[in-house]
Amino acid sequence: MLSAPEPRFVRIWDAPIRLFHWLLVGLIAFSWWSGEQHEMEWHRLSGYGILALLIFRLYWGFTGGRTARFVQFVRGPRAALHYVRSLGQSDYKTPEGHNPVGGWSVLLLLGALAAMVTAGLFAVDVDGLESGPLANFVSFDLGRLSSGIHGVLFNILLVLMTLHIGAILFYLIGLRHNLIGPMIHGRRRTADNEATASLDASPWKALAGIMAAGLFTYMIAQGFRL
Amino acid sequence: MIAKNLRLAPIAMVALPVATLMLAGTLAAQTAASSPQAAIAVRQANYKKMGAAMKTLNDQLKGNAPAKTVILGAAQALAMAAREQPRQFPVGSGPAAGVTTDALPNIWTDRKTFDGQMARMIAESAKLVTVINGGNMDSIRVQAKATGATCAACHRQFRADT
Repeated sequence: MLSAPEPRFVRIWDAPIRLFHWLLVGLIAFSWWSGEQHEMEWHRLSGYGILALLIFRLYWGFTGGRTARFVQFVRGPRAALHYVRSLGQSDYKTPEGHNPVGGWSVLLLLGALAAMVTAGLFAVDVDGLESGPLANFVSFDLGRLSSGIHGVLFNILLVLMTLHIGAILFYLIGLRHNLIGPMIHGRRRTADNEATASLDASPWKALAGIMAAGLFTYMIAQGFRL
Repeated sequence: MIAKNLRLAPIAMVALPVATLMLAGTLAAQTAASSPQAAIAVRQANYKKMGAAMKTLNDQLKGNAPAKTVILGAAQALAMAAREQPRQFPVGSGPAAGVTTDALPNIWTDRKTFDGQMARMIAESAKLVTVINGGNMDSIRVQAKATGATCAACHRQFRADT
């Protein structure tokens, strides 16, 4: 009797990326809740958390593990189209890290979030009571406009998140490929003949990035009144 | 007599139309002020002034050294606009007026409560001016908060949350 070959695993997401992802999920949910409840002190803190995550993600896109780097997953439209066509073929080949379409999805999500946080920093409420930490640099009207943009961007973000989850479900059900597990534990089951190179994610670089993101966020949260 | 009248004529030719225009203008302004649409425009402009004044005030109070002339000016603008507001909610200037307004219908069904909120806003904003003139920064912060609280309390009850 032949025993099945031991399943081999390859690490595809480094720890900072996974932590970034799930903290972001939690903070977006909390930001929505606190915003709806007019708990503006909490809403601001939650926004600062997202800001710090985004700064870290930008930094990690140049210094992080291989699959976290922008050069690895930002591809042109031709590569994206080619990838979409390959999905129709019977044997689905898993790209390492983000696929060429997923890369665009990441950029859009990060872009929408960055725009939303920026708008929030300058936003003012209708009473002139609550405001972002940089609102004193703009007029009341511009602050109100910023607040409106902040709201519109949330709807855009909802659309992007729906697409994101829809795509994950399509892979899970349509292609029988689980993307959720690897985003939790970082590993993906792999074929025997696949090369498995290390991600090269440096914990020291991660620590430096976390500290820089924290410091930067603190300065912005103080409205540069240091 | 005739000559005198003739000499007066050029002045009358200018003065009469001007006087007529001025009278017409006054009448138009009066009718405009009493129309629900005009009232909505006036009160919205006033609220914007108040929001801007409140922002100026809070921007200053966020910092370490608020400029007294700036916060006093903002508080005075706030108090002045606040006193204008109660008369800008005539019957019929609710959502049914056909103009976009966040004013909820219960302003007119629960007018007593609404008027009470208005009175509180006027009193607190007037007190803010007094407290700023007093010059104690801690008291100013407390009173700015109390004034803002009247905006928030009334909006929770009588303004559509958009």
